[in-house]
Amino acid sequence: MKKLVKRPRGPRFHQTLLTRYLLIILFAFLFIPIIFPLASFVYMLTEEYTSSRNEDYLKYGDGSTLEAMWHQEASQLDEETPEQTDRKLQEMKRNYPEGSFFWVDASGETQLQLPRQEQLPERWTHADAIRYMKKHIDGDPYTVVAFIGPDNSGAGFMVMQLPRSLIQLSTPVGAGTPFYIAFLFIMFAFFVLLSLLFFRQIRRRLLRLQSAMKVHGSDGLPMPIVQKKQDEIGELEAAFNEMTDQLRGSKERESAEEELRKRLIANLSHDLRTPLTVMNSHAYSLRGEALSEHGKAAVKQLEQKIASLGSLIENLLSYTLMTGGRYPLKLEQLDVLRLVRESAAAWYPLWEQEGIEPDIDLPGEPIIWRVDKEGFRRVLDNLFQNIVRHAHNGQYIGLSSETREGQTALVISDRGAGMESESSGKGAGIGLAIVEYLIAEMELEWRTESTANSTRISIFPRQLQT
Amino acid sequence: MSVRLLYIEDDREIGSFVCKHLEKQGYEVHWVTSGESALKAAAGCKLVILDVMLPGLDGFTVGQRLKKADPAVPILMLSARTSIDDKLQGLQFADDYLTKPFHPDELTARIEVLLRRSGAAGSEPVAVKHLLVYEQQNRVVNSTTGEEITLTGKQFHIFSYLLRHLGQIMTKEQIYEAVWGESFIEGDKTLMVHIRYLREKIELNPAAPEVIETVRGIGYRVRP
Repeated sequence: MKKLVKRPRGPRFHQTLLTRYLLIILFAFLFIPIIFPLASFVYMLTEEYTSSRNEDYLKYGDGSTLEAMWHQEASQLDEETPEQTDRKLQEMKRNYPEGSFFWVDASGETQLQLPRQEQLPERWTHADAIRYMKKHIDGDPYTVVAFIGPDNSGAGFMVMQLPRSLIQLSTPVGAGTPFYIAFLFIMFAFFVLLSLLFFRQIRRRLLRLQSAMKVHGSDGLPMPIVQKKQDEIGELEAAFNEMTDQLRGSKERESAEEELRKRLIANLSHDLRTPLTVMNSHAYSLRGEALSEHGKAAVKQLEQKIASLGSLIENLLSYTLMTGGRYPLKLEQLDVLRLVRESAAAWYPLWEQEGIEPDIDLPGEPIIWRVDKEGFRRVLDNLFQNIVRHAHNGQYIGLSSETREGQTALVISDRGAGMESESSGKGAGIGLAIVEYLIAEMELEWRTESTANSTRISIFPRQLQT
Repeated sequence: MSVRLLYIEDDREIGSFVCKHLEKQGYEVHWVTSGESALKAAAGCKLVILDVMLPGLDGFTVGQRLKKADPAVPILMLSARTSIDDKLQGLQFADDYLTKPFHPDELTARIEVLLRRSGAAGSEPVAVKHLLVYEQQNRVVNSTTGEEITLTGKQFHIFSYLLRHLGQIMTKEQIYEAVWGESFIEGDKTLMVHIRYLREKIELNPAAPEVIETVRGIGYRVRP
């Protein structure tokens, strides 16, 4: 059956980074078809506005107004009455004091000139007329020629000249172009800034997430982070927080389990040891009684067995914890000779009591290995106990060092019957199993050379092995 | 007057046996079976022997409260819980930790050491071979001649450290660190020199020392 996977509800479309990115892209696409025309439009608008304002300052209106006026005036005159035309020109001169005026009658005679212009021919030929026209097209002064008579139909004509500065703006065409370019540039810069901010924000949030993954709290797990936005990165942050929650939960469960297991073992140890203690106290009480030699030997045997049962329980429970991975070792650089001396000092009285002669020949220089303090003591205790239990017949224990391939190894030797022999106290070998486990965990090696009447155990760091 | 001990143990058999044993050693034992009653009975006791697994308040809590009430009274934990964690937790406030099954003689020896260390044993001098040591007064007397032996501060410190661990072998590092309060550097001869001068003062024959015994390759010991 198809399994339904419930997808978490994503962020709303308008909140997503995708939307924002699309907006920026859209803006980029619109740049040419929208921004350019828009800029041009704005430019034109401003141009129009400023030029229309300037027109108010033109005294006599622009060229086309003047031209229309001149033709109008000319059409109202009559060729037959030159006085009327003279009067009109004088009137025009009063109205336009900066202007120059003259007229030519139908026969080509230059009539009134206001003011007088030397270069004008007295009598106009066709060529003169055309030359004059050619000279003044688009020139300065601005020149308007109009034929006299109704509908400007006459052969005579009158001419008005005005300095161009009066009828035209002084600003050249295209004076607003720098503003246009600046506007485009500002729009472009705005676009770049927008994209930059967008990606910078994404980058900053990703970096924040990355650093949150690296920073660990007191429990060794990453700390949850504050989710600020509901977009894709926000979702990622939420997923990250969920993950740290799960991690924390599983870690708590694990430590609770570990705690439970430890407590169970502690209780078990207690329940097993309490009756042993009672037995021990009864055996001790028996000593005070009058006993036969055989009875005394039996009591001694009983006490020994109780003691060894006690350590067996200890080893068994430790072994259970160790193999269950519930015996964490804290490896640190330590002088193992110091640990050996301290351990030997604790065992010394027992060795003396058992008639075992210690031969301690340890170097003066410290041997620094990476070991767990309690773990290494445990190894030594178990090995020493083994010697006391199974090799006391040899009446010898030697602690020394030797050089193995350039590195120092610790050597514990005895003269007992060897590890292969059957000893009365031989059990399942849990003590040695613990030694084996701890030695491996502390990255050490051990070698046993056992003969019928001696055993030599050397311990050395693992990298000695080639 | 005999020294009064407070003993907290819920197991009747172990309790009555330990009581009898300690009374035979000359102590006055006040035995209670729960943590709650222990807190009430603590007044006037010179030492507390405390089991960990108790009904009601557990031994760790009782121990911490007792220690808070009177820090000078030594506490000996006597427990069937042997894990390192338990020992470490216990030794945060307790002065010693003995695991069951224990040898009754070991219990008495540890009680003596604790009482001596706390000064509760009174000004009774400790007798070692021909010497009488008054630890409270920093005095050492030769009991055969009655002469007082003058020791320097460090010499007395070393000697009393070994006496406090009577019968135990102490390594050079342990002695040095306890007396000088700084970590021992391998090859340092300071301790050996001090012990040589100390022996010249206290040993009958410094060439064949009897009071401070050298344990070859390990350290030193003062035997009772």
